[in-house]
Amino acid sequence: MTGVLLEVSDLKVTFAGRGRPVRAVDGVSFSVYAGQTLAIVGESGSGKTVSCRAVMGLLPPAAVVTGSAAFAGTQLIGLSDDQLRAHRGANVAMVFQDPTRSLNPTMRIGSQIAEAVRAHRPVGKAQARERAVELLRQVHIPLPERRCTEYPHQLSGGMRQRVMIAIALACRPRLLIADEATTALDVTTQAQIMELLLELQAELGMALMLISHDLGLAASYADEVIVMYAGRIVEQAPAPQLFSRVRMPYTQALLEAIPRLERPAHAPLPVIGGRPPDLSALPAGCSFAPRCRHAADDCRAAEPPLAEHEPGHRWACWHPVGAGT
Amino acid sequence: MAAAEGLRPGAGTEFTRRAPGSPTLRLAGRRLLAAIPVLWGVTFLTYVVMNLLPGDTAQLLLGANATPAEIHQLSVELHLNEPFWVRYGNWLGAVFHGSLGTSLQNGENVTTILGARLPVTAELLLYAFVVSLVLAVGLALLVARWPNGIMDRLSLVISMMGLSVAPYVLALVLIYLFAVKVQWFPAIGYTSPSANLVENIKSLTLPAIAIGLPLFAVYTRLLRADILEQLQREDYIVTARAKGVRPWPILLRHALPNSMFGLITLVGLNLGTLIGATAIIEPIFSLPGAGDILVQSINDHDVPVIEGIVVVFAVVVVVANLLADLLYAALDPRIRYGRVAS
Amino acid sequence: MAASLPDLLLTAEKAPADSARARGQAGWARSLRLWLPAGFLILLAAACFLWPQVYPVPKPVGGSVLNAGLPPLSPGHIFGTDPVGNDVFSRILYGGQVSFEVGFAVTAIGLAVGGSLGVTAGYWGGTVDAIISRVLDVLIAFPALVLALAIAEGLGPSELHVIWALSVFSIPATGRIARSATLALREQTFMLAARLSGTRGPRILLRHVIPNIVPQLMTFSLLGFGVVIILEGALSYLGLGIPLPEASWGSMIAQGQQTLTASPDLVLIPSAFLFATVMSLNLVGDALRERWAI
Repeated sequence: MTGVLLEVSDLKVTFAGRGRPVRAVDGVSFSVYAGQTLAIVGESGSGKTVSCRAVMGLLPPAAVVTGSAAFAGTQLIGLSDDQLRAHRGANVAMVFQDPTRSLNPTMRIGSQIAEAVRAHRPVGKAQARERAVELLRQVHIPLPERRCTEYPHQLSGGMRQRVMIAIALACRPRLLIADEATTALDVTTQAQIMELLLELQAELGMALMLISHDLGLAASYADEVIVMYAGRIVEQAPAPQLFSRVRMPYTQALLEAIPRLERPAHAPLPVIGGRPPDLSALPAGCSFAPRCRHAADDCRAAEPPLAEHEPGHRWACWHPVGAGT
Repeated sequence: MAAAEGLRPGAGTEFTRRAPGSPTLRLAGRRLLAAIPVLWGVTFLTYVVMNLLPGDTAQLLLGANATPAEIHQLSVELHLNEPFWVRYGNWLGAVFHGSLGTSLQNGENVTTILGARLPVTAELLLYAFVVSLVLAVGLALLVARWPNGIMDRLSLVISMMGLSVAPYVLALVLIYLFAVKVQWFPAIGYTSPSANLVENIKSLTLPAIAIGLPLFAVYTRLLRADILEQLQREDYIVTARAKGVRPWPILLRHALPNSMFGLITLVGLNLGTLIGATAIIEPIFSLPGAGDILVQSINDHDVPVIEGIVVVFAVVVVVANLLADLLYAALDPRIRYGRVAS
Repeated sequence: MAASLPDLLLTAEKAPADSARARGQAGWARSLRLWLPAGFLILLAAACFLWPQVYPVPKPVGGSVLNAGLPPLSPGHIFGTDPVGNDVFSRILYGGQVSFEVGFAVTAIGLAVGGSLGVTAGYWGGTVDAIISRVLDVLIAFPALVLALAIAEGLGPSELHVIWALSVFSIPATGRIARSATLALREQTFMLAARLSGTRGPRILLRHVIPNIVPQLMTFSLLGFGVVIILEGALSYLGLGIPLPEASWGSMIAQGQQTLTASPDLVLIPSAFLFATVMSLNLVGDALRERWAI
């Protein structure tokens, strides 16, 4: 239960843009342990999705990936597509954000699940079909045999996401990456899907990576939380510690922006001013400085390094909140 | 193309009751209804054009030496002096009874003439279509597997050239190269399939290439663009890759089926415009087809034949488009199964 | 004709998904892809129209039979002469004039009339759309070549008649493109915003719709230009276009066909020009489509 499953070290992803290259991921390092739930939180463009897709080798050919991502000891970066295919679905699986567009509209549900099974297991079609039904049952879809013959558009959004999860589980991966898996769903369905994911995680002993922009989600479901901004990790801590002793101003601002019942009615939500930075023209110094309440001159001058300032708690800030500096 | 406009896999969770009758049939019914005014419009337009053109038909038929009396007599015989609407009414009535009139040139029944000629044109077009489609799909798949490779660049060049060439020019070049220089194929003439199948195929090969090469070029370009777009922009392709599916199954089972829709619409549209192409190609190769007789009739001012052919062609065009729409609907499960959610 | 206007773009052939820019191809290579064919076209058009004014060329008609059938690179006749004794080079130039004139006129008429009809149908929808669409459908279903042949046969061949005949084909084709482009545009949010802010119909059309469909119409028209040139050639080839002895690439090809075996260059030279012109038009259309990411 405590082995390191995925070790990412100094991961960098650059896209050749119009002119200047875009540094979508700029030196990210983290570890995922077997059975752990890790949440990566950040705004759009923070690099959270790109990091995970880089690990799985699912980025477009225009992306340049450097660094290291070792799964159970095997280095994934730099592997050919052929070699990576052995891992995709079998060791690491992914659930995507938009189940409407992530399923082939002209292929039956059962076939799509069976395809996932047969990608790694030498089973016959009939056996694969049985496994598909079994998987649908596991994700609590009623009437699984009938569902297998239906097409994606005949299902509701929540059900489609369950199907995506079933596909991801087909070969019992050891790591499941849920990339904004609940963002496109309504709140009730969100909760159901999250509960399902946790249940399956416990059942199958998987590690779970939750990618989201929703800090509240991370708070409720994750063991460990990583906060990313402009392609870098800015804070990382076990969940309870992060929320009780937040250090990075950005994280604090995110926390403050979560609507809370205790606030007076109609009180305006504190927002983070400014806009996410242009990833092809990052400012010198801390990338969050232009929008930070506590920014000082040394913030704009040099980029703060990510360091473990307290046990188990890393952050990258010259003037963290609450630490007295 | 028009069939699936605005239809997306429903994100809705509403309960919809299935309307009576399959969606496909209802679609067919609607299209059929829409096609009728078009059919009428085309036949009407044909009749107008043919009959309002200057040039006295009777005079043309009888030649320069005809006396006014002879001209008058022929005009009466052919009902050429009656009011336009009367003539149109008569003609339309006759068409509904299956009679397309008689050739002014040789008195033959237009239906008989067409009966003899249409199969030749049909075979030619079928040949051109099938070969160009099969080759286009094959090539598009290959280049999609290795985009921007050598084969891809080559295919882009070839299809650009195929698009830019005039069919009659291509026909002449083909004749020069393959029928004169190396005598692999006959330059002119037609052998019917019942007489000798091999000779039949040979006699149709060069004309089929002349018609088919531009088709092949368009289909390849379209299919390549569509497949690549699927591969690069569609999320379900990413899902398939994340599952660990190999490249060829991704192409064949995911990208290709979803790329066929544009192609189907295009083929339907093509069927209509190709008829014009046969009017040029058939005379070059002396093929006794409908295009050939069309050109002859226009030169002879043989109005009934022209009208008959155009009507038949118009019907074919409308039916072809209808079939394309139906095929589209049949292949797209989103239309076939409607939006039954639960 | 095969691969004609409605087919190519009604199904909205898109710019290649892997655009050169995304592949990181050098800017100059992309510019070359646009300006090389465009430059060729400009040079060719200039040559066809201006060369005879500036340099003396043998007349394209009225050649003496004594000069007949000279091969290319003969003195004074760089492309040789045709069976009637006319200089091929000058006939190419004058034939080119015809091609460009007809192509331009038909395309312009198509854009003006067809474009207006299409935009009207697309923007107003409802009955207006239904009527206009039916009319366009009928015109498209009508075999264009037949109509052209009939007009030419009935009215006698001439350049003007060719333009009328081909316009009947270009108008519905352009109309359908304009209509579908307008329809696609209508659904966009900024259109709704314009309507809600009280902008009136014609102003919306002028300021919002038309500028946004111009790229699509332009690339379509470039392809259409090529098709029209081919069709004009076809008509002239059949003797129903530009009447002999006036020069047209199509009729030159028809004439050359008679001596195909003996002197293929009489077919090959006008064919080569026809091919190069249409191909350049297609290449420019492609390059523009990629540039504008349509």
